[in-house]
Amino acid sequence: MKRLSLYLVMLGGLAHGLAAQGDVRAQLVGRVSPDLLQLVVTLADSAKALRLPDAPLVNKALEGAAKGVAPDRIALAVQGVFGQLNTAASVMRSAGAAPTAQEIEAGAFALGAGLTSNDVAALSETADRNHPAMAVLQVAGALAALGVPRAQTVGLVQAEVHSGLPLGDLTNLPAQVQAAAASGVPPDAAASGLERAAQAHAGQSVQPKGRAKGNPHRP
Amino acid sequence: MKNHGWNDQIKQVLDGERELESLPPELRHEAEAARRQLLEAIDRRPVTLSDDVEARVMARVRSRATARWPRAWRWLSAPTIPRWAMLVPLAAAAALVLFVRTTQVPQTNGQAQAVVGQRESVYVRFELYAPRASRVALAGSFNRWNPAATPLVRVGPDGMWTVTLALPAGQHQYGFIVDGRNWVPDPAAPTVDDGFGRRNSVVSVNTINGRIL
Repeated sequence: MKRLSLYLVMLGGLAHGLAAQGDVRAQLVGRVSPDLLQLVVTLADSAKALRLPDAPLVNKALEGAAKGVAPDRIALAVQGVFGQLNTAASVMRSAGAAPTAQEIEAGAFALGAGLTSNDVAALSETADRNHPAMAVLQVAGALAALGVPRAQTVGLVQAEVHSGLPLGDLTNLPAQVQAAAASGVPPDAAASGLERAAQAHAGQSVQPKGRAKGNPHRP
Repeated sequence: MKNHGWNDQIKQVLDGERELESLPPELRHEAEAARRQLLEAIDRRPVTLSDDVEARVMARVRSRATARWPRAWRWLSAPTIPRWAMLVPLAAAAALVLFVRTTQVPQTNGQAQAVVGQRESVYVRFELYAPRASRVALAGSFNRWNPAATPLVRVGPDGMWTVTLALPAGQHQYGFIVDGRNWVPDPAAPTVDDGFGRRNSVVSVNTINGRIL
């Protein structure tokens, strides 16, 4: 390998790293106080080191500034987001997964919506090829955000995944709970109904072949 | 080489197999003539250079060796085998180069009608009923929470405000800003704690292989 190639690669990597840090700084400069900016840059560096996405940190800082929140409180919120991202990534990696940035964000969202780290671990293990972890966690987070109790949320999502129903049915669950709520059905009752339906479908799908339904026309 | 029909003893001398002095006197003169003839044929006369040639050549070499840029270029372009210690920063640099940045493009799902836009993004319509509002805007992770970036348009006389955005796949939080100061969650979307004592609305756009779910 030529020295020139070697050093060009190293220089490119260094420049990219600095540019990434510059991105975070550029997004925040003029929008947040200098102290808060430095905190977010530091946390973003830590996030990179831990293979976590840093965009949610920047967004939370921008959100706080847009809402006129005091910098100290924004700092706490940003640190809270960092903790959620780290927890989500840790539990998914402990389960043997190599989560993407979007999956980590979905896990952090589920935590923010009220699920526990055990719930996130269980849900990420529930995910399969037809039901990616990102969708599973997003749906679970949305259900929790709609007011479905935590344990019921996990049970409903797991039942839906195990039912063999297509992914579209899973991602449609929050809309179904919303629709039920709009007609006066509490979220937990709506979730119970949906879970029973998923379990019933799972029972049908494992019915042995050749055991056809009875012919209604046969005496 | 042309065969001169020399005596075998002379050939042995020419081949270096015996000394000239060992030849009988009558053959020595002929052997010396044969050796001269061979040397002339291969032109092995010694080359003599003028005294200043070496000085000029060395001066040229030294000037090239001390020139800064050619020397730097030779150093940079010289083939080298990286040591293990050099592989550490190399690996770090490669990791940085290969690092895939996650772009945070917000998207909303809600109960808005979604239409496929560009790859892995959808058009989502946001609506808010605010009959007394003089202006309504939308801010969220998709527009970097910029209150001025996405104003809604009042449609009809009933106080309905709306805007349509192209959003990429993912999950996004947002809120409406009424009259520039009141943050209002979307009544048609799930909400989560925003960490500041308020609620953010949440919208999810799920696309798998470019297909909206």
